[in-house]
Amino acid sequence: MNKISIPIGPQHPLLKEPLSMQIDISGEKVLGGSLRLGYVHRGIERLAEQRTYVQNVHLIERICGICSHIHTTTFCHAVERLLEIDVPQRAYYIRAMMCELERVHSHLLWLGIIAKHVGLDTIFMHTWHDRELALDIMEELSGGRVSHATNQIGGVRFDLTDHQEAMIRTTITDLSLRVNNLLDVIKNEPALQARTRGVAKVSPEMIHQYCVVGPVARASGVDVDFRRDDPLPPYDQLDFNVITHNDGDAWARTVIRAEEARESLILCERILNEMPDGPVHVRAPRRVPEGEVVIRSEAPRGELFYYLRSDGSDKPARLKIRTPTLAALSLLPKQLSSIQVADIPVVMAGIDLCIACADR
Amino acid sequence: MIEAWFYLLFFPGLIFQVICGLIFEWLDRKLLARFQRRVGPPWYQPLADMVKLFSKEDLLPEGVNDLVATLLPIVSLSAILTAGLYIPIAGFSPYSFEGDLIVILFLLSVPTLAYYLAGVVSVGIYSTLGGGRSLLQFFSYEVPLLIALSGPAILSGSWSVKQIMVSQATLGPFILFQPLGFLLAIVGLIGKLKRDPLDIPKAKSEVVGGPLTEFTGAKLAFWHLGMNIQAVLGIFLLVNLYLGWSKGANPLLTIPVFIVECLVLVVLLSGASAIFARLRIDQLAGLGWRILVPLGLLQLGFVILMGV
Repeated sequence: MNKISIPIGPQHPLLKEPLSMQIDISGEKVLGGSLRLGYVHRGIERLAEQRTYVQNVHLIERICGICSHIHTTTFCHAVERLLEIDVPQRAYYIRAMMCELERVHSHLLWLGIIAKHVGLDTIFMHTWHDRELALDIMEELSGGRVSHATNQIGGVRFDLTDHQEAMIRTTITDLSLRVNNLLDVIKNEPALQARTRGVAKVSPEMIHQYCVVGPVARASGVDVDFRRDDPLPPYDQLDFNVITHNDGDAWARTVIRAEEARESLILCERILNEMPDGPVHVRAPRRVPEGEVVIRSEAPRGELFYYLRSDGSDKPARLKIRTPTLAALSLLPKQLSSIQVADIPVVMAGIDLCIACADR
Repeated sequence: MIEAWFYLLFFPGLIFQVICGLIFEWLDRKLLARFQRRVGPPWYQPLADMVKLFSKEDLLPEGVNDLVATLLPIVSLSAILTAGLYIPIAGFSPYSFEGDLIVILFLLSVPTLAYYLAGVVSVGIYSTLGGGRSLLQFFSYEVPLLIALSGPAILSGSWSVKQIMVSQATLGPFILFQPLGFLLAIVGLIGKLKRDPLDIPKAKSEVVGGPLTEFTGAKLAFWHLGMNIQAVLGIFLLVNLYLGWSKGANPLLTIPVFIVECLVLVVLLSGASAIFARLRIDQLAGLGWRILVPLGLLQLGFVILMGV
């Protein structure tokens, strides 16, 4: 059959964010593809150089609509390290709890999307309904469902009340039940497995070669998690499991995200139990002393890298952000060969693209 | 003469079938929504959608033959409406004759071919891909469906749907003798209607809208209406062939029983689209030829032995 080229994007039902792929196919077989990025580039790194550190916290929150909190957390850690101030432990714990809730809702969102792409709209609707519980907690705490504005340099903006803590505990118990139920369903769902098992296998060698991080790497058996490998406080005091799978296919990526969501909920409860008392915020100076710092943290999609250089003023001299999606994107054209047209959504959804993060 | 016009225009012709199609669409969407923890549309939503589509501008891409693109949905819809005249509704069938089952099956395969042609004539890549897929799907479900539907005909010794239905009054409903055939017929019907989980030709995340990607306005409305009426006719056909204990003696009892049986089938179809993931086209071909056809032949052998 003739080789034809189909466009996926910038506007396509498969994509939630703009990205352009030209995919060469012959009949139902995919021969390869090429990628084009930059549709949501907003020049955030340059913008950050023109704003003060306090303003930047709000700017950086707008990098991503799903993992907004981890961006500000990483940025605040970077600034706090340059300032050399002692942030209260309680603030760290509240930050970590928001991080874990963010991971839960990001993973549930992703599970819904992969289910939708293989035609299981029912699981899509149910996971997105369950995901609302995680958003409810975040809304209860911070007042925002997407942009939480939790962090400020020197701590967090709010403290937990007893009433809120009780609400979080009951909601987390409820959500854990639902996530367990979901895990049960997807593990016993033959059609989902028929569509994802053996599709787009990625070997650990390829993971290393392309520097892929996060759940995609862990699904291929590469044991990497920056909450454990290079922990920001309070993760150095918390005990949690890092989940890995050895299959490396789309199925492993599906299961690993459901299991990580469950693990994060357990971690949330642990954070609540071990949360120390005390203030949640210290006053931070506006001017940051000269210096440079690198901070790595574990976003829902993998390693998030922040490089910050200060020239002693109240604005950063340079802010460099490397997001996990960028590494995964480089692997995408590689995966799009010797698969079927019907597998394209599974492959593209499988690496959990966050284009807004990658483009910035 | 007036009678014939009544049959053609009102019952069991155009108006009745259109209303049934809209009711089916609403029931299906509502049930699916409830399975998925959603509220679902109000009862007039399908009608409102139709009206809205008719008021939209009718656009076609450059290079598409306008005449063919206009004829295809009309031919498809007329074939479906014609088939509807021969399917008995609660025992009522003005145009029944020996062999009408074959005519119905032929007329109901016209929409699939029109659907394929729609993909070919609209020049878009997604349409062409979807058209090719719909033809591949046709070869996968049609043979098991025909094998399954010939079971009741052979058991009753007649190829008239009405005769098959009437003979079940003495022999008992055929679903008892052919549960396997009934199941195959439902799978075949889902494939014919291109419904979830066999919506391979129009899978949104893969080929956008399939063959109908480039259709808009009234043409698209005709396609949707045709698909919904086809679903209703498929349900009527299965009820007549497999659940035929409503033999027409007492209309007060026959009509409610017929409606209840149809509703059960609607729930089955909606349930299937709620709980199964979409198959890949190669998986469907494998399912059709490796599993469904042997099972259908097994059922057919059983039916023939029973007849002897």
